[in-house]
Amino acid sequence: MEGEKAVYRGLLKRPVVKLLIRKVVFLFITYFVFITIIFALPRLVPGNPLAEMLANILQTMQATPELVRAVERRLMEEFGLHKPWHEQYIEFLGRMLRGDLGTSYSLYPRKVSELVFTYLPWTLGLLIPATLVSWIAGNTLGALAGYRRGGRFDNALLPVSLILSQTPYYWLAMILLYTFSVKLRLFPLGGAYPSHVVPSFTLEFIAGYLYHYTLPFLSIVLAAAGGWAIGMRVLVIYELRSDYVDFADSLGLSDRKLLQYVFKNSVLPQVTGLALNLGTILGGSLITELVFSYPGTGYLVFRALTRLDYPMIQGTFAILFLTLILANFLVDLVYMVIDPRIRTGYIGE
Amino acid sequence: MTLLMAENIKAYYFTRMGTIRAVDGVSLGVDKGMVLGVIGESGCGKSTFINTLMMNIRSPLRFIEGRVELDGLVISEMSREQLKKDIWGKLVALVPQSALNALMPTMKIRDFIVDAVRQHQDLPKEEIVGMARRRFEELNLPSDTLNLYPHELSGGMRQRAVIAIATLLNPKLLLADEVTSALDVSTQKQVLNLLADLRKRRIIDSVVYVSHDIAVVRQVADKMAVMYAGKVVEVAPTEDMIAKPLHPYTTALVNSVLTLEPEVRKRELSYLPGEPPSLINPPRGCRFHPRCSFAKEKCETEEPPLVEVSEKRLVSCHLF
Amino acid sequence: MPSRILLEIFKIKKFTISLAIILLLLFIGLVGPSIYPTDPFEAVFRPEDPPSSKNPLGTDSYGRDVLAQLLHGIRMSLYIGFTASLIALAIGVAIGSIAGVKGGLTDEVLMSVTNVVLALPSILLMLLIAAYFKYRDPMLVSIIIGVTSWPWVARAVRAQLLSLRAREFVHFSRMAGYSDFRIAVEDLLPNMAAYIFMALVLLMSGAMMAEAGLSMIGVGITRGASLGIMLYWAQMLEAVRRGLWWWFVPPGSVLVALSASLLMISTALDEYFSPRLKGR
Ligand SMILES: Nc1ncnc2c1ncn2[C@@H]1O[C@H](COP(=O)(O)OP(=O)(O)OP(=O)(O)O)[C@@H](O)[C@H]1O
Ligand SMILES: [Mg+2]
Repeated sequence: MEGEKAVYRGLLKRPVVKLLIRKVVFLFITYFVFITIIFALPRLVPGNPLAEMLANILQTMQATPELVRAVERRLMEEFGLHKPWHEQYIEFLGRMLRGDLGTSYSLYPRKVSELVFTYLPWTLGLLIPATLVSWIAGNTLGALAGYRRGGRFDNALLPVSLILSQTPYYWLAMILLYTFSVKLRLFPLGGAYPSHVVPSFTLEFIAGYLYHYTLPFLSIVLAAAGGWAIGMRVLVIYELRSDYVDFADSLGLSDRKLLQYVFKNSVLPQVTGLALNLGTILGGSLITELVFSYPGTGYLVFRALTRLDYPMIQGTFAILFLTLILANFLVDLVYMVIDPRIRTGYIGE
Repeated sequence: MTLLMAENIKAYYFTRMGTIRAVDGVSLGVDKGMVLGVIGESGCGKSTFINTLMMNIRSPLRFIEGRVELDGLVISEMSREQLKKDIWGKLVALVPQSALNALMPTMKIRDFIVDAVRQHQDLPKEEIVGMARRRFEELNLPSDTLNLYPHELSGGMRQRAVIAIATLLNPKLLLADEVTSALDVSTQKQVLNLLADLRKRRIIDSVVYVSHDIAVVRQVADKMAVMYAGKVVEVAPTEDMIAKPLHPYTTALVNSVLTLEPEVRKRELSYLPGEPPSLINPPRGCRFHPRCSFAKEKCETEEPPLVEVSEKRLVSCHLF
Repeated sequence: MPSRILLEIFKIKKFTISLAIILLLLFIGLVGPSIYPTDPFEAVFRPEDPPSSKNPLGTDSYGRDVLAQLLHGIRMSLYIGFTASLIALAIGVAIGSIAGVKGGLTDEVLMSVTNVVLALPSILLMLLIAAYFKYRDPMLVSIIIGVTSWPWVARAVRAQLLSLRAREFVHFSRMAGYSDFRIAVEDLLPNMAAYIFMALVLLMSGAMMAEAGLSMIGVGITRGASLGIMLYWAQMLEAVRRGLWWWFVPPGSVLVALSASLLMISTALDEYFSPRLKGR
């Protein structure tokens, strides 16, 4: 018993474990802050948009009086606007913890959580592979360019990645869609799969899916890779001048080996960079989905924002943020595995 | 027997600001079994010089002219590939000025050693690690250091590990650049002992020891060379130089550092006015003349050659 | 000394070229609408006409002139970009310098707040805030972008201050008994002018991108045209699938040109001021 306790205590003292705990606590706090912002915003904004929304719905809903009353009751219950704000807050937190994100009214009576979980997989299926591929490709190209700084490859890659890095995914998407689908007719005009097949594990569906997948995937990969390439190039240039490279060089280590070292050390900040940029990547790809009429969360967000479907806005954003936090945590875990300095507590916030 | 001979070597940095003549016509020899100390103020070109001695030239530094012969091989005519393959690490090794950051940060020291040795000898991993472990033990360094990452070592330990790694393949010549400057006195001592051990056990033959600190150089060097603004201005056996410096710059240097020692305390501290000169536009004539209280007209126009004024004593000054 | 630095900076080709592009677009945005007085919102032309001598960039689906929209759009995007980045800069510099100069508990609290805000994805935050305003004028959009984009500035300013603070002149001011505030204003900020300028440049490109993103997803400005709003219209009215390239290519190109030039300016300055990259 005592021994077991000591083991736990020892474990808690390990730098990695400490860091992990700190990280989890931090992420928890940010999630809490975000949820609070979600709660507070509509109640802080002048003119109380929620109340206004309720009035609006009741006026404009072209439905049977029973339905209108049902919606009203539901919304009053979920938002609890007649209660004091701290009760509303506690109820809100409780619902969020239980995963009850409320009821959409623009797609009444569907639950927000159910809607998000039908649309989210499409987004993730697009976003995760695209992000990984762009990260790997961008870093590899950037490293090569940085290694031969000023060379022909560098001179060609630098302006291209610079422009790509400043190109919004969705605008690149428009250009690709116009060129390859409208003009050259090589790819479909939108959607995630051919309209005549149902999603299933058949060859027909998978082929159709990939066919529809190509352009959205390429838009994100190309536009995102530019930024990674630029970042990696600079990191490699910095790293090549570091003292350990000089020393290894003076011991006669081959250029290949040196490049390996430099790559290894430059990629570490890029892993952190990935964690930091997940939000931006997500934002960009949501809009890209709109361009391709992709049935992902982008559509849901757009619909919610333009129809002022506040329950859906709140729910979708809470889930999206939660997804980001999880992804962030995963990336941080990976970082801890590959950087020995973190493991031994040498660096880390 | 001469191990290393440098003849009139020049190496300049080509930068946006201009050409920095960091090493500008230096000739020096290092005998087998000798420790040569090189001293000089910060920025006078010591590090550039020591790197040029092994032909470790990288942009923006360029080797302009001269000849470097190491153990009978004219290394100044070798390609970088050849140097890396046959010379560096095997015949000559460098402990860089920044040795505290010289180890690959995300690798265990053991694995770095394996990579380094494998470049020259195709041995199985375990054998290399065993070799390193024996060497570390021989030099009284804790051998479990090998299983650590660089950041887990103290500064002094890191410095000693770099020296041990650099000399793993028994190079004849060790070039040591300010290896004690960043350390406190007791750690300095450990590093100096390590160097002495290396020589005693015949792991290395000769050392070129660069430092701005005469007091330290004096403890290790048999012979000293004084650098000023990219040139060597005086060469002499260590004790001779300290007892009786010839060049006015050496005199100032020796006096400013060693006034607390009894045998020199009598001398009054000479004050050296002015700044070290720019290496982009060095003064004409003798580079030291603007700061020299003995400067004559000749010093402003004519560069003094490095000449032998008495046995084993070379000086570059119109006074002699 | 400063004029020598300026002279040297202007010798950097990519800096000068990028600056020229920015100034050109700024000029177009400021003067363009008066030189080319066609009303961007009046639907008086034949809809969906390709570029012609009458409508140099064609017309949109309502029969409005695209060039006129572009000129007004550039002006609006620059306005929002500039205002938003000034807001973010003000917040970031204020928080960063208070944290950096005061140190201690103040520093800790401010930096914790900054880190939390930094961890909130700014784009989601912007969308969320914007959603609750029925009418969004350019100032409101600028504020929304500004209040969500400052954290990295605060961190950078603080880090820079800490490294400057360690230097001697601050020590002297402290010994002379100057207040923290006076030290910050008189000694530290001037030393950071170049840094702050770089931050402004980066913020501005980020803000213009953010404006476009907000607009694309339907929560941009509610009146007037910006580059993002043009793209939004083009997207809503299926300009891509209907082959109306003149409608979506120009605003996007201008956006990329602006943003890339701003990035180049900041990289050039960074390379100039940070010796490690400079090399030769
Ligand atoms: N990579 C480089 N690029 C440009 N100039 C350089 C470079 N390295 C050194 N220099 C310049 O060359 C001159 C000699 O430098 P060097 O490092 O050889 O001097 P040092 O005597 O070793 O100085 P220290 O005692 O500070 O180590 C200095 O003026 C320095 O500024
Ligand atoms: Mg040096």
